[in-house]
Amino acid sequence: MQRDTRLTLNPAAATRSAAVLAKTRSSSLTWLNRLEPYLYLLPAVIAVGIWIYRPLLQTIELSFYQWNMLPTAPRTFVGWQNYAQLFALPEMSRALLNTAVYMLGILPLSVVLPMVVAILTQDIGKRARTLYRMLIFLPVIIAPVVVAVVWRWILHPTNGILNNTLEALSLIEEPLRFFTDERLAIWAIIFITGWKLIGFSTLIFSAALTNINREYIEAAQIDGASRWQITRFLLIPLLSPTILFMTMLTLLLASQWSFAYINVLTQGGPLNATTNIYFLLWNYGFRSFAVGWSSAAATVFFLGFSIIALLFIRLSSRFAFYDN
Amino acid sequence: MTTTARRPQYLSHALLLTLSFLAIFPIYWMIITSVRPEREIYSPAPIPGEVSFENYERAWNAIPMARMLGNTIATAVSQTIFQLTTSVLAAYAFARWRFPGRNILYALFALTWLVPFQAIMIPNYVLLTQLGWRDTLFALIVPNIGSAFAVLLLFQSFKAFPLELIDAARIDGAGSWGILWRVVFPNLRASIASLGVLLFISSWNDYFWPLLVTSRPENSTVQIGLQAFMSSDMNLWGPLMAAATLASLPILVMYLLLQRQVIDSFVKSGLR
Repeated sequence: MQRDTRLTLNPAAATRSAAVLAKTRSSSLTWLNRLEPYLYLLPAVIAVGIWIYRPLLQTIELSFYQWNMLPTAPRTFVGWQNYAQLFALPEMSRALLNTAVYMLGILPLSVVLPMVVAILTQDIGKRARTLYRMLIFLPVIIAPVVVAVVWRWILHPTNGILNNTLEALSLIEEPLRFFTDERLAIWAIIFITGWKLIGFSTLIFSAALTNINREYIEAAQIDGASRWQITRFLLIPLLSPTILFMTMLTLLLASQWSFAYINVLTQGGPLNATTNIYFLLWNYGFRSFAVGWSSAAATVFFLGFSIIALLFIRLSSRFAFYDN
Repeated sequence: MTTTARRPQYLSHALLLTLSFLAIFPIYWMIITSVRPEREIYSPAPIPGEVSFENYERAWNAIPMARMLGNTIATAVSQTIFQLTTSVLAAYAFARWRFPGRNILYALFALTWLVPFQAIMIPNYVLLTQLGWRDTLFALIVPNIGSAFAVLLLFQSFKAFPLELIDAARIDGAGSWGILWRVVFPNLRASIASLGVLLFISSWNDYFWPLLVTSRPENSTVQIGLQAFMSSDMNLWGPLMAAATLASLPILVMYLLLQRQVIDSFVKSGLR
């Protein structure tokens, strides 16, 4: 393992001194040496163990109990009961339906639109590109609570700039009540969630496009391929790893991304129109104090999302075209 | 290349300008509203008639702004330092040695990606309550001293570090600790710093964790305070926008100064 440059200068002496060194060290140091990597890993492993894996296991354990989170209250073992009634729990079916709406509603904003923009704007010059990048990316770094507060102001029914402008242009007769109208609320949350994502996603697609070998495109052009043909048969297949990645990210995280906006702006309302599974877990836990329900649902969703992730990882290694 | 270059660019510019407008208008509107005098708050004019800082004064006095900003700075700075330290150590171990259990430990970090906050919140809440840490800085900082995400990201840059340099240092008699801080760390300072910026921003913007472990705004971060301020009075738009601007100011300044590094580190990292 250890290379010694001194060998080249005086082989015999070096071997001797190395041997002596090795002997005195080996007894105390070899097992310490072997321990070394674990010592470096220890702080991070402890942190992740205590704050992620311990609670994950405890959540699974708590899913078999009925408990209201009070330290003095008894935990009653109820077996699979929480799971058996999971889909009959209050608001669950609505939350599941909404979760699907969130996933599918955010996809156009996190995958389709960014990809189209990235493809259409490939030819932009370098200096302009840097400027646009900076502007488009801004929403990504703004805190979700700030985003929620600002959109609440812009979308306010009577004083907000959007409704006022639409009214001034006579496009609407009555103000749109984005967060209190049952039909609009979920779309308002989806839009805000997407607004924060578009810039990030566009840059991911742009980065993927710049990594594509220009020779493919030039070859296709020489063969007389149209822009649409190049996009359809060359760029989109070559982008498929990125498309799969962003789709997976959206499906897995859409509910988490929208949680902050739901909690700040609508509290799941009006009439549960914007609630989703994670908001429901939060409500079960910290409003209804139904720890068993929350934990059983969390366990099921954790497993469900893990399976989705696994499928996507499989899919991306099987169907994606890689540019090597 | 030639055909793409010849194509008119106005479509691209129109598209990107629209997107840029959509991206910056809300932030612009927040700042503009925050400096409008009270009688102009509902004005649709894109530029205020006069600039006034009375909203900032009112926001500063209406909520414990100084306390909350202090808490947020303390939390974000310590989380960043701790997370950087623990992940530098861990990434170094993964990059430098092959040891029994390496793959399992690595998978343990990688799989945290799948664990949603809502699946671990109740046991963490219970533990912090038992420790008596709720509504303290401990609760905000200690549970976040390690970041699996930071370990994975740093490992990517540590992996690329030439092992020859490590070997050369070892021959000079340096121990693994000395090699880490005198050879590896100085060479990877750029990637560690950009990870630091990323960690600072996500810690500053964090909403879930402070929401879980604190109940009063004066013990919490500015994000929670902002939410409380919004719920308490609906019509104080000026002061509310001033509070929102204050809550994003450090991040905005950082972005203006380091935008290239910020964007690169976000894009490289995926989103989390």
